[in-house]
Amino acid sequence: MIGLIFRRALQAPLVLLVIYTVTFLLAWALPGSAVLRDEGRAPPPEVLAAMEARYNLDNPVSFYFGYLKGVVTRFDLGPSLRYADWSVNEVLRDSLPVSITLGLCAVGIALVIGTVAGVVGALRPGSWLDGAALSLALIGVSLPTFVIGTALLLAFPVGLGWGRVAGWGRPSDMLLPALTLSLPFAAYIARLTRMGMIEALDSDYVRTARAKGLTERQILIRHALPNAFLPVLSYLGPAAAAAMTGSFVVEKVFNIPGVGQHFVNAVLNKDLFLLMGVVLVYATILIAMNLLVDVLYRWVDPRIRA
Amino acid sequence: MALTLLLLAGVVVAALVGDRPRPPADFTYIDHQPPFTLDPQRATYEHDLRFVSALFDGLVRWDPYTYNIIPGFAKSWTVSDDGLRFTFHLRQDARWSNGEPLTSADVVYSWRRALMPDTAADYAESLFHVRGAQEFFERRSERLTEYAALPASQRTPETARALREETERDFGVNVGIRAPDPLTLEVELRAPAPYFLDLCAFPALYPVHPESVEACVALDPDTGRLEQTHEWTKPPRLISNGPYRLDEWRFKRDMRLVRNPHYWDADRVALETIEVRVVEDPATAVLAFQTGAADWLSDVLTGYLPEMLQAPENDVHGFTRFATYFWSFNCSPTLTGGRPNPFHDARVRRAFAMAVDKQTLVEKVRRVGEETADTLIPPGSIAGYDEDRSIGGPPFDPAAARALLAEAGWVDRDGDGTPEDASGEPFPVVDLLASTGSYHENVALALGAMFLEGLGVRTRIVQKETKAYRDDLRRRDYMMARGGWFGDYGDPTTFLDIHTTGDGNNLRGYSSARFDELLHHAAAEIDSAQRMALLEEAERLTTEEDLPVLPLWRYRQFPLYDAERVRGISRHPRAIQRLDYLSIAPEPDAKAEP
Repeated sequence: MIGLIFRRALQAPLVLLVIYTVTFLLAWALPGSAVLRDEGRAPPPEVLAAMEARYNLDNPVSFYFGYLKGVVTRFDLGPSLRYADWSVNEVLRDSLPVSITLGLCAVGIALVIGTVAGVVGALRPGSWLDGAALSLALIGVSLPTFVIGTALLLAFPVGLGWGRVAGWGRPSDMLLPALTLSLPFAAYIARLTRMGMIEALDSDYVRTARAKGLTERQILIRHALPNAFLPVLSYLGPAAAAAMTGSFVVEKVFNIPGVGQHFVNAVLNKDLFLLMGVVLVYATILIAMNLLVDVLYRWVDPRIRA
Repeated sequence: MALTLLLLAGVVVAALVGDRPRPPADFTYIDHQPPFTLDPQRATYEHDLRFVSALFDGLVRWDPYTYNIIPGFAKSWTVSDDGLRFTFHLRQDARWSNGEPLTSADVVYSWRRALMPDTAADYAESLFHVRGAQEFFERRSERLTEYAALPASQRTPETARALREETERDFGVNVGIRAPDPLTLEVELRAPAPYFLDLCAFPALYPVHPESVEACVALDPDTGRLEQTHEWTKPPRLISNGPYRLDEWRFKRDMRLVRNPHYWDADRVALETIEVRVVEDPATAVLAFQTGAADWLSDVLTGYLPEMLQAPENDVHGFTRFATYFWSFNCSPTLTGGRPNPFHDARVRRAFAMAVDKQTLVEKVRRVGEETADTLIPPGSIAGYDEDRSIGGPPFDPAAARALLAEAGWVDRDGDGTPEDASGEPFPVVDLLASTGSYHENVALALGAMFLEGLGVRTRIVQKETKAYRDDLRRRDYMMARGGWFGDYGDPTTFLDIHTTGDGNNLRGYSSARFDELLHHAAAEIDSAQRMALLEEAERLTTEEDLPVLPLWRYRQFPLYDAERVRGISRHPRAIQRLDYLSIAPEPDAKAEP
């Protein structure tokens, strides 16, 4: 186990460097000026040139290495070009906790809904309960979150007066966006659990357990579910990373000050530092989550531990 | 798994408990964008300027309802007979939000800061009217270039410091801004600029607190430039001199302004606290307002605005702005790839303008009640300028448009409906360049139909993301493109400047010796009426003959608020809304309570 963590820790900087390089190349190729505003009066050309020089935007090589140096030596992700008063570190300091909170909440909800729906479906395949769970999963996967989000917004805060629109800071503000964000994950988890459970319930060890006279409840919880849960576990790593780094659409509809919006807006605004910053942070979280899942995997599945 | 869930729940609760609730503010409003910067010298967007004008104060201000000049922290001023010398007398009780007195030296510092290319102040040019200012700006740029060319061994902190000291001496000697005593500021202009006071009222010239700004300035020995970070714009470090001080600023979330007790006119300010919330999604912003989350929404941007306006009882208010929506013609001789550009010929541009039925555009496409526009400058918006409203564009007249196109050599020679030139080459398909994400595509579709019907010319819509669109404009890689312009100050030049040859905002490649000459003469003209006459002549030239742009309508803004409750909102076309003039009407039924 220690060996695994050690190996991964050595690999991580290399993976991040590759991600950084590819992101840099793509971001540099974006059309338009990074310092010129979208609308309004353009400053004198000398001012534009001074701004580009200041951020190394006139020289890709010094930009690439300069930024890398700042990140490695000072954890300095640079200034935001669009939000001139903010550094990328400050932006992430304010928005990352929001996204992590919301993401964990969403993953929690997704786990509960998905596992219950999957188990129920697997216990009675073909029954109306299974059909209902499957339909729910189908809706969760195929309905875009902006439709679900808007519908929830119109139904609860606007229609019934429960909760508030575009609010953030109270526990109740989290419920609707977390639910919206969780549905696609819940649907996928339900599918994985159902498949795993059907397979497990049909396996030899479950038959043996039945023969030994264990109760159905014991069989389900002690024997079938842990095995059926393995694919879910490996899915949880990237899912948690994705959920915790925010969702552009959910953040937009519910007006949540999270990180997700920056993935899209930083590209549109050609806000290079912010763009690279969020990509690097996302990549780091993704690597960490995958490692965590691998560790958990070994812990849950004795076959891998050997 | 139960353990994991418990852990998750713990994190969530911890994160939420950390968020302390605050008492509601006296007034809450919603903006679509967070401020990009609160640095007066760098603010350019309207929502930024609104913050700057709430947090900071200028020598003079605009009355928010008339846009006449009224005193700011200067209680009075005198102008010399030749219009070149302004002397401002500062109030004795003018203070920063930390209680320190505000002096004329602070203004000198701030204006020097605006004129340093290091600051990259967008509105540096507005100070170029001051004697020696433009030369100072250019000299500093040159010195920096020379410095950067020095061998690395000579680029030391000492040399950089010496350069900085030299620059500051240069400013003191050569630029016409002086502080003879702490309460007097003298400004000398290079030529009369009757609107100089208007520029002083513009937030870009409001002073910053030198000490707190300097704390974030570092000299880069590598480039010789002053590197500035912006930590000083965040509370509690932001020290300002205006009606409000900044109490809290959470990125893309909210801001809280609190009345500044040290402001010289604090007694007039009605609202004690103001909360500003940022809601980027237009529909969510409207829903938030409708569910009572705010007292004022700065602008409704939803696609269903026309339907909202038709609702019998709505709180949408339409304000006409000091701004014009237009489509630009690329006036360059050739297009990308060296193809000849038919729009280089002013007659072709005029013919296209005459094929456009603006009334239909406004009524059928926009449907939000804009006024059609024939001129770039809103008629009657500037005192002493074109008061008889004699300037007007060519009328909608497809037959005359076709005749004019024929005069320019484009006639339908083969009867297919499309005009051809003398060699039989058909009129090229016109690219209509628009940015994505707004109503411009609809306008382009309608324009395309009008050009086809009126002139037999085919069009193609080219939609690009804003950055790419702006890039195409700057490279003149387009034929016609959507555009617009907001006036900054109450003078025709705030609009007309964009047509001068080589101006950074002349995205049309328009160049007319006659126009440049008229503006040049106007800049040197002391007599105000004469000057206005020259500028009128210049606008007549671009509006009636040359048409580098095709004006379509005046921009309108659609704030949402309950007019019975929210008082003090200005309907003036130039208003960016001064928060210190707003108030909330007392609840009508408050007295009925026992």
